[in-house]
Amino acid sequence: METGRNLTDNELLQILRSDTVPDDAIRQLYRSQMGITKAYINQNNGSDEDAEDIFQEVILVFIELVKKDKFRGESSIATFLYAITRNTWLNELKKRGRSKLREEKFEKAKDNTEMDISHYMVNRELKTQLMRVMDSLGETCKKILLAFYYDNLAIKEILQNLQYENEQVVRNKKYKCLKQLEQMLAGQTQLAQNLKSILFYE
Amino acid sequence: MNDNFTNTNLLIQYLDGELDGEALKSIQEKIAANDQLAAELESLRLAKQVVKTYGLKKTIGSIHTEMMKELSARPVQHRIGIRRILQYTARIAAILIIVLGVTVLYQYFSATPEQLFRNNYETFQLHETRGGGTASVLEDPFKNGDTAAVISAFKTIDKPQPEDFFLNGLAALNLNHAPDAIHSFLALQQNNKATNTHFFEEDAEYYLGLAYLHNDEPAKALPLFEHIYADQAHTYHRKINSWFMLKLKKMARR
Repeated sequence: METGRNLTDNELLQILRSDTVPDDAIRQLYRSQMGITKAYINQNNGSDEDAEDIFQEVILVFIELVKKDKFRGESSIATFLYAITRNTWLNELKKRGRSKLREEKFEKAKDNTEMDISHYMVNRELKTQLMRVMDSLGETCKKILLAFYYDNLAIKEILQNLQYENEQVVRNKKYKCLKQLEQMLAGQTQLAQNLKSILFYE
Repeated sequence: MNDNFTNTNLLIQYLDGELDGEALKSIQEKIAANDQLAAELESLRLAKQVVKTYGLKKTIGSIHTEMMKELSARPVQHRIGIRRILQYTARIAAILIIVLGVTVLYQYFSATPEQLFRNNYETFQLHETRGGGTASVLEDPFKNGDTAAVISAFKTIDKPQPEDFFLNGLAALNLNHAPDAIHSFLALQQNNKATNTHFFEEDAEYYLGLAYLHNDEPAKALPLFEHIYADQAHTYHRKINSWFMLKLKKMARR
């Protein structure tokens, strides 16, 4: 990614749609949006830590939505991120039961949102469970699956990086790891069902 | 190798986009015909998405730490920036004050009566007779800027009137004949005194003072300008300021 200047919304969206997400694209989102998120959450009974947690999740949701073509620049990125942040935070406040006033504000906020993004809310608890499942998979499986599905490396490159005997061994290992993960998820029906709804944004 | 393994392997290959042709068609038909396979495919698809989300979350997490350091350092840099700007501004202001001070001191010590004269001398504009009863014969040549003709004509006048003395003094000053100018302005003042009149009194006082400066006699110019400076109703009061007086006093002390 070209550095030194801020990318336009269209350029950023194009980059985020690519197979791998460059770190600089995420940095740009932080530089342009973190301050706004922090100010909003601070003004609405949240701490700096809340703002940081929420922002990480919002960025994650945003990138996934872009990759799944659920956001194509119908509004500015800033407006979209702000809307997700607001939905997520007001929902968080609702969960914490801070006040009825917040709930009223939440309803009003939903009404005022131009796009219907109410279902693009961050579900932090489910994401935490997702992380736990992956962490319980074991380091080797995580490495192979991440290399193949997240870093989009070819089997040959994984072979070089992880030093297996041959490509077939890598393929078999990848098969076993993905099957293992699939079975772990299948063993937790409710979690799998919930994850499907938040990960596929359907 | 059992059927389950084969099918799962095919499903994964299908999921990864590695199948084409007959193999692709075959697995698509199997999935369509077998709910269990379709369900397994969905579970594998979810597992793949879990991996992607996990990877992205980890990436964001590592960038988050780095960015929070950068962003929390920003206000400090901003403060440092402001402090630096203030320091530079203070330095520039100090330099300007020093330069200004040196300039002022230079002007104070290097000022001469001639400089004061040149800085304050302006040709008198004769619009109408301010004093005497009948118009002077000097008026026309004076208005025409013919100062030599004014002086020549003055010499032909037997009994000069106040305006004649004044215009002759101005013409002499204009021709850099400061002693003649002084003589003419003094004669006007004496005439006014003798007749208890005030024709061209304030004009003569100002231009006499300038004539003294032009003639390098600041001590004689000082009381005239002190009077003008002290009298706020004086016609020429606005032309004299404290800086002028300061320099004149220094010159007068020589």
